[in-house]
Amino acid sequence: MTSYSNGGFFNPAYHDSETLEVDRRSSRKTHQHTNPYARSEGADGHYSTGQISSDDALRRMPWGQEESWRGRESIPMGLISTRPRSPSWQHDINHSTFQIPPEPQYDRSPSVRLPSTTSGNMTMRWRGISMRRMSLFPNGDPNQVALTEDAIRDEMENEEQNLVKELVALSTRDRIRAIRDLSMSFDEKKQIRSQVLAFKSAKKSRQFTCFADCSENMSLSFRRFGYGIRSARQTLELWQGIMKEIGGTFGTSVLSYFVFLKWLLMFNIFSFLVNFGFITIPQLVNDPWPDIPPNVNFRGLEILTGAGYFNNTIMYYGGYSNQTLGGLVEYNMQLAYFFTIAVYMVMCGIALIFSMASSFKTNYVLADPTSSSAWQLLCSWDFNITNEKAVRQRKNNLRVQLKESMSEKAQRERLTLSESLKHFGIYLGSWLLSSGLAIGSGASIYYLCQFEQQRATDAANWSLLQEAETLLVPIVVSLINLVVPLFYSLFNKFEQYSNHRNQIYALVVRNVLLKMSILAVLCYNWMNVVAIKFACWESMVGQSLYRLVIIDFLFLMFGSFFGEFLSNVIGTRLFPRLGVPEFDVARNVIELIYAQTLAWIGIYFSPLLPAIQILKFFILFYLKKVSLTQNCQPPRRSGRAAQMQTIFIALLFFPFFVGALSIVAYTAWSLTPSEQCGPFRGLNSTFSVIGVWMEDLEEISHSQWVVWIYQNVIRSEIFYFLISLIILVMMYIFWQVTQGRKLLIRVLRQQIVNEGKDKSFLLERLQNLQKSHPDKRSIPKNQKKHSKRRPDDHSSGGQSTSNAMVQALLARQQLEEERLSTGGVPVPSDISTSNALIQAMKARQRAEDQEREEQYIPAYYESPINTSSSVTQAMQARQRAVVEGTDDARDLNSSVSSVMMQVMQARQRAEEEDMPQWVPAPPKNQTPAGSSALIQAMLARQQAQNEYDDGY
Amino acid sequence: MGTTASQLGKDMLSEYQELTFLTKQEILLAHKRFTELLTRDEKDLANTRVPIERILTLPELKSNPFRKRICHVFSTSEYKDGSLTFEDFLDLLSAFSDSATLEIKSHYAFRIFDFDDDGTLDCGDLEKLVNCLTGETDDTRLTPEEMRQLINNILEESDIDKDGTVNLSEFQHVISRSPDFVSSFKIVL
Repeated sequence: MTSYSNGGFFNPAYHDSETLEVDRRSSRKTHQHTNPYARSEGADGHYSTGQISSDDALRRMPWGQEESWRGRESIPMGLISTRPRSPSWQHDINHSTFQIPPEPQYDRSPSVRLPSTTSGNMTMRWRGISMRRMSLFPNGDPNQVALTEDAIRDEMENEEQNLVKELVALSTRDRIRAIRDLSMSFDEKKQIRSQVLAFKSAKKSRQFTCFADCSENMSLSFRRFGYGIRSARQTLELWQGIMKEIGGTFGTSVLSYFVFLKWLLMFNIFSFLVNFGFITIPQLVNDPWPDIPPNVNFRGLEILTGAGYFNNTIMYYGGYSNQTLGGLVEYNMQLAYFFTIAVYMVMCGIALIFSMASSFKTNYVLADPTSSSAWQLLCSWDFNITNEKAVRQRKNNLRVQLKESMSEKAQRERLTLSESLKHFGIYLGSWLLSSGLAIGSGASIYYLCQFEQQRATDAANWSLLQEAETLLVPIVVSLINLVVPLFYSLFNKFEQYSNHRNQIYALVVRNVLLKMSILAVLCYNWMNVVAIKFACWESMVGQSLYRLVIIDFLFLMFGSFFGEFLSNVIGTRLFPRLGVPEFDVARNVIELIYAQTLAWIGIYFSPLLPAIQILKFFILFYLKKVSLTQNCQPPRRSGRAAQMQTIFIALLFFPFFVGALSIVAYTAWSLTPSEQCGPFRGLNSTFSVIGVWMEDLEEISHSQWVVWIYQNVIRSEIFYFLISLIILVMMYIFWQVTQGRKLLIRVLRQQIVNEGKDKSFLLERLQNLQKSHPDKRSIPKNQKKHSKRRPDDHSSGGQSTSNAMVQALLARQQLEEERLSTGGVPVPSDISTSNALIQAMKARQRAEDQEREEQYIPAYYESPINTSSSVTQAMQARQRAVVEGTDDARDLNSSVSSVMMQVMQARQRAEEEDMPQWVPAPPKNQTPAGSSALIQAMLARQQAQNEYDDGY
Repeated sequence: MGTTASQLGKDMLSEYQELTFLTKQEILLAHKRFTELLTRDEKDLANTRVPIERILTLPELKSNPFRKRICHVFSTSEYKDGSLTFEDFLDLLSAFSDSATLEIKSHYAFRIFDFDDDGTLDCGDLEKLVNCLTGETDDTRLTPEEMRQLINNILEESDIDKDGTVNLSEFQHVISRSPDFVSSFKIVL
């Protein structure tokens, strides 16, 4: 009975409204009058002993009349034990409450709880059922009252069966996922699983077929395979320990840089494998030794410049042949080169789009636009952090941030015109300055390139000095990339952004502008100057890219030295005021993106560039790790790591990948390949290789369809026109759907607010009603005093209603009032449950009011059966009133309020109207009134207890 | 429950794999780490409970401000002493693992934050939560005035039905809008 031993806390109904036990609450109550909301230590004792003394029972039922209740089992009132010294307390659990009786099949789990949250839709279903059951109670026809317990038990059984069936009906994978997603403890999940499996095996033995067996085995082995892959991936996970260490000390936002680095590394490994496998290996097999001119020697400087000795190797485009390689199968190098690059680019694009879209979906669309809210700070506590010092620091930072968020909220409005003008001026100035810097660097690189081109010759054999001169451009570029962002960071210090996020965005946008202007100038130079001037121009471009990649790597190392080490020295030795630097995630990530863009552009000109890139990133990882742990402190600002990562992926995709793709595509489409080297020599453009291929294919009879596709799809404008039209239409439709959902969300939110208002209104009403009966404040133990006082209080009622029943009810009510007065605690956790609770309280109140009007309660005990017809009448009348009330309420109430609430409010109104009628009711009617009221009270109590339990 | 102290049976392992979000390696690592916490006598017993003091010596939990709450939430002990069995421990790791769903994570986060275990986050819970996050000592704590304002802010932004407390669905709503939660609500062994 795991669920009991948890005191209901591990109960799936912890947040849902599904617990149907009555007894736990009562036992808690009897022992903890002072604080019924604390965790019940007592509850376990009861269940484990399985005994409850009659004393205890008496205390729970403070009236001394249990005897007269004997034989009235048909009243579904959990607490009124029909046998005070009943077999055991357990009996009550299974009998008088709605607990599901233990099923023989699952004898291991007598108290299997229905998992109320299996998945989204299941949760909704359970909630729906609970709503139905709630509404079943107060409206219950008295004829059905006796049946209610059975009916509900049946329903619960059905529900359980349904759940098990639902789980059984799912495919094995879905079922495992559904069970795994249950938010309950391990033991409970295990029980559910064993139930489902038992059910499944029982079912299977009935309809055993070979096919089912086979498919079961298949799915099992697939599952095993899936687990195997997951495990293998885990084992292959690179740098796991280091990642954990970084996350443990610096938190998630810094970790995201390393995750990104690792992701890029994987990208490059993939691209290296593809290029190496499909382009380089065939070339090597065909012609293992590059034809290097005899007067070119390896001088060492090539490692930096990539020129000279490397020029004719497979490193660059020029090193590849245009032959169709013979051997076992024919291998067309032209086609291989073209398709490898094309497919690689397309796959990169798809991978980026997918990761960007999923990242956007989870991190951005759902995110609250109103930033710096307190909850986001509280929820962003990093459970990763394990370092004691980091935890302390983080606590401090969080406190500062919380204070800032509060003061921000207070200050937001107080911004005078002059202040905002000043801010605007600063923004404008710094934006102008930074754009100017970006354009200036672009222009300077342009002139530098022109200068270089004038000096460069198309000779195969450069002198050492000439070769060294080629390093000028990449060094200047990297220098700009290193220095200008530092200026940008400086500007950023002067600007006062209202929130941290805008500040980072401004920084990122400026850096992106800078890198883009530099890359644009370089590309222009390659496409328009180099392509005309040199004979084997692709290799020249490849060389420049190689140089850029290498020098960029060296400068990244310098960057971490200057950026982090020096400022650490300055911060700790020279100006302690500045403090130890933080790791600037944004700047570092932009550097990575820039490096990756170079590799993408270079993929056409230098197919083995990814190998260099892999090496670079690999070393960079360790370098940054050391630099981080030695020089940096954890970031003062936490949070937004996930969103920043989304932004980075988006940036990587949008200007950078798309830019690289368009440059490669432009090269392939429009530029004439060099005539003396490379796989595409002699062609008008790279793309015309497809045309040649098609001409070859036309001669082969059974590949006409490929030619047809080429003629009618690839080369036809109408196809692209249609495709873009369809995409546009789909985009429009999805956009409309999004708009509609947004509207729906707004409406639903408003509805929740309205429900909340209704709830508080009803609670207020209830409290007012209770205040009008002052005697409810008494304590149940003072029964005698209480009963003596009662007649005085209710002299208007005429008759003394000193029976213990009423007192018991009042006592309970008083407890509930205590609950209310203990400060908001009892307010139920769900709106639906609150409705029911209110209903229950109302019903009890009503019952009490009616009982008070009773004049002769023993009559009820003497003739319980005769009254049933009049009970029916009374109930029907009330129902009619309810219906009428409902109609009124519909008019009055706002349309968004749920019908359920309307009905309840209406009933309340109807009952208020009813009450005066009941007072002068003829004596004949009083007995049925009493009985129905009793039944209602009991039902209400039971319900209230259910709701109470659900609160736990 | 069939768990031998020294190693896990194959069936147990696959069952654990099915019921948690952990991979085989993670389960084995968890088992290794868990058995390290046991004393020599306990190693021979199946299904031993490790008391909270020893659980908290794990470096992953040692300096976590919520360490005690985490143990209490995941403990299935009858005495509410926060002691964990191996299965409880797996449960904990599963909820904090990378692949656990947002719903599971937010559910457990809610329970961890619900200091008095009453099913809602009321002012007391929120105050304790903030104190936990900013430090318990007097000089690090927020002033009562700040605390009041902060709690007001919190309730204002999350208490949709205006009942003065934050219930699970409201909490999950808040969580779903703070994307950092999933990546930060994570403990890796």
